[in-house]
Amino acid sequence: MSPTATASRPTTKASAASATVPGYAGKLLRVNLSTGKIWTQPWAEHMREYLGGVGLGAKILYEEVGPKVNWDHPDNRLILATGPLAGLPVWGTGGLSVITRGAQTNGATSTQANGFFGAALKYSGYDAIIVQGQAKKLSYLYINDDVVEIRDASHLKGKDTWETQEALEVEHGLSGHRLSVYSIGPAGENLVRFAAIQGDYGHVASKNGCGAVMGKKKLKAVCIVRGTKALTPHDARGLVQAADDIAHDLKTDPAASTLYRWGTLPGVTNLYKLGALPIKNYTTNLTTVDMTTWEPAKLRNGFDHRGHQCSACGMHHCHIQVIRKGPKAGELVDEPEYEGWSGAGWTIGATDQEGISWLNTRLDRACVDVNEFGWVCGWVMECMEKGYLTEKQVGFKLSWGDIDGAYRLLQMISHRQGFGDLLAEGVKRASEKIGGEAAKCAVYTMKGASPRGHDHRGRWEEMLDTCTSSNGTMESANPTHQTEFGQPGRINPFNGEEVAKLVGGILGRKHFEDSLGGCIFTFRSRIEMLARALSAATGWNYTMPEALRLGRRTAAILRAFNLRCGIGTDLEYPSARYGSRPVDGPAKDHNIMDQWEHMVDVWYETVGYDRKTGKPTRETLKKLGLDWLTRDLWRK
Amino acid sequence: MAQIARDSLTAQIEVTTWVTKHVGGDGSGSKLFTEPFALGETVRQVLRRFTARHPELDAALWSPDHAELGEHIEVIVNDAVLGVTHELDSPLKDGDRITLLGQFMGGSCLIMSR
Repeated sequence: MSPTATASRPTTKASAASATVPGYAGKLLRVNLSTGKIWTQPWAEHMREYLGGVGLGAKILYEEVGPKVNWDHPDNRLILATGPLAGLPVWGTGGLSVITRGAQTNGATSTQANGFFGAALKYSGYDAIIVQGQAKKLSYLYINDDVVEIRDASHLKGKDTWETQEALEVEHGLSGHRLSVYSIGPAGENLVRFAAIQGDYGHVASKNGCGAVMGKKKLKAVCIVRGTKALTPHDARGLVQAADDIAHDLKTDPAASTLYRWGTLPGVTNLYKLGALPIKNYTTNLTTVDMTTWEPAKLRNGFDHRGHQCSACGMHHCHIQVIRKGPKAGELVDEPEYEGWSGAGWTIGATDQEGISWLNTRLDRACVDVNEFGWVCGWVMECMEKGYLTEKQVGFKLSWGDIDGAYRLLQMISHRQGFGDLLAEGVKRASEKIGGEAAKCAVYTMKGASPRGHDHRGRWEEMLDTCTSSNGTMESANPTHQTEFGQPGRINPFNGEEVAKLVGGILGRKHFEDSLGGCIFTFRSRIEMLARALSAATGWNYTMPEALRLGRRTAAILRAFNLRCGIGTDLEYPSARYGSRPVDGPAKDHNIMDQWEHMVDVWYETVGYDRKTGKPTRETLKKLGLDWLTRDLWRK
Repeated sequence: MAQIARDSLTAQIEVTTWVTKHVGGDGSGSKLFTEPFALGETVRQVLRRFTARHPELDAALWSPDHAELGEHIEVIVNDAVLGVTHELDSPLKDGDRITLLGQFMGGSCLIMSR
C-alpha cells in the first residue's frame, strides 16, 4: 500500500447534491493539487446548453483560465469530462473528453478517448473532474465513490502507461472494467509537448500536449474504481430503443458497417486510392508495396486477436493482439488503428506490419501523439536522407522505415536526451530552430498543431478544418450523412469554395457529439438518432437543429478563448510542406494554396465569424444565445 | 435492352471494399470487370449498363430516382475522383479504369465527389 494523503470525502459548498436531471450524476469533482483540497460542486444549471464533455469543458476553460495562464502554469485547468450518455446502455459510452490549454498551440484543446473511464466516473457520482494547481511531488488521483484521495505516485515514476495501469491494478486488487486508469508515460513526466494521456490499455487522448499539462501538474494518473451509484435515465425504454436503432444503423449503414466489422483498418487502402495516405513525410503518394496485403482482413489475420471492447460497445473496433512473427513475436500489443498504421508506419516509410504494430503500442506506452511522432520522425528521416541533418546532430543514423531507429528516437524524445530534447518540442518548433532547407520539410499548422495521419493535400476539407480549428486538431470532421445538415451529398474535392462551404456548414456537429460522453465511431450515426437518445436520457426534447446550435456555441467559446490567448487569424495556414503541391499520385498537381485565401474567406462567411478579427460576429453570437460572450468579445 | 454497337473499346471497372458484396464478392478486397463500350459513351452510360446487370449495386450506386449518384459510393476514373478529370457525362477512352470505392469511416470519412 502506498503512502496516502489524508483520505477525504469531498465537501460540497451546497448541500450534498444529487442529480436533478436524469442521465447526469449532478456533481463536478474539483481537485487543487497545490493545496490538496478536494471538493465537489453541484451541477444542475446550464446542462441544457452545455451538455457535458467539451461543451462543459469549454465553458470552464473560458471562465477560469485567463490569457496569462499558459499551458504550464499551475492555474491551468485539466478537465476530464463525460457527458449525459456516459454509463448508459448506448454503444461506446465510456467516453472522456480532455479539455485544457495545450502545450503545442498554447491554446484550447479538446481531445477524446474511450474505454471505461467516462462510465466509471459517472457511476462514482461525478460528471467531470477539474484539476488545478501543481502537486509538490508525483501523485495520482484515486477515486472510489465518495472517497477521493491524492496519493503518492513516486513508485510509478518513469513507468510507461501500461506498467502504470498494471501497478495500480495490483495495488488495488482490481482489473478490467472494475478499475479504469488514465495516465501519462515518461513523455508526459518530461513535458514533451506532444505527450498524450492513455487509458485502459490503448485508448489515447492524444492532441495538443494534454499529457504535458498533466505532467506539469505532477499528476501521473487518475484511477477510478467502478462506482456503485445508479444512473437513471428519464425514459429507459425510449433510451434502449434509441440505442438499438443506433446500433442497427451502425451495423447496416454502408459507410458505418465497415467500421463495425473492421474498425478503422480500411482507411489504409482506401486513402491510398485517394492520394490521402501520407507516405514518407509527404514526399510521395505512391508505393511499390502490394496494397492487397493491407486489406483489413489480411491486416487483422496476421495477428492473434482478442476483442478489447469499451464500455457498452458492440463494435469490432478495438483489439489487443499478439505479434506472431519477426523479432517482436509473442509481444502483446494494441491493434493499431488507421492513425497508428499511418503515424508509426507509412509516414516514416515503414511497411513492416509487425514492426509498426509494435512501435504503435510503444508510442502509446511512452505516451506521445502518434501523429505528431510520425511528423517528427519522418522529418528527421527525410532531412538525414537529404543531408539537412547529420548523424552527428541526431546521434545515430536514421533511415526511412527503420522501426528500431524510430523507437530509439522515441526514447530520446520521451526522456529529452540529446537531440530528442529539441524534437520533444514538436516538429514546428524543432524545424524552425534548425532552419534552412530542413525547415521546409516539416508538416504542421502555423498554430503549432499538426494534422492527423492523412495527406491533406488530397483531402482539402481536412486541411482547412485543421488550420482554422480552435481545439488543436480537426474540429468539424466529416459526418457520415452530411446531407442531414442540408449540405450537398457530393462536392468537387478540389473546388475550394465548395470545400469551405461544406466544412463551415457542418461546424458544431462534432462538438455536440463530443459533449455526450461517447465515441466518435459509435456516434457516427445520424444526429437525429443521437438527439433522440439524449432526449430519452435527460427528458429534454432535443432536435437536430438544436444539436448543431449547441455544438456551434462550444466552437465559438473555444475560438474566443484562443483569440484571448493571442491565437488569431494570422496563424490559419499550413506550413510550406503541409500545403505543398503533391508530386505524384491521385492528387498530383492540385495546389491547395492557389485557392487558400478564398477558401478561408468562404469558411468565415459560412460559420458567421468576422474575417478580420476572427471573432464570431455579434449576430452569430446572438443566434447562439451567447450574449455574455458578446459582451466579452466586442466590448469597446 | 438495345444492343449498342461496340468499337472494340473496353474500360476496366474495379469494385472494391464492401461494394464487392453487390457483385458476388465477400465485402473485402476488389473485383475487376472488363466492360466494352462504344466510342463517345460516357462514364454514366457505361456504369448504367454495368449496374443493370447487378441489381444490388444498381440500388446502392444511384439515387432512388436514378438521376444521380447516391451517397455512399465514390467513383474514381483513372485514379482521379469525379470532378477533377471527368464528370459523369464525360466520354471514356479505351483502357480507362473506373473504380467504385465504398465510403468508409475511420482514419476519416469520405467527402463524396460528384
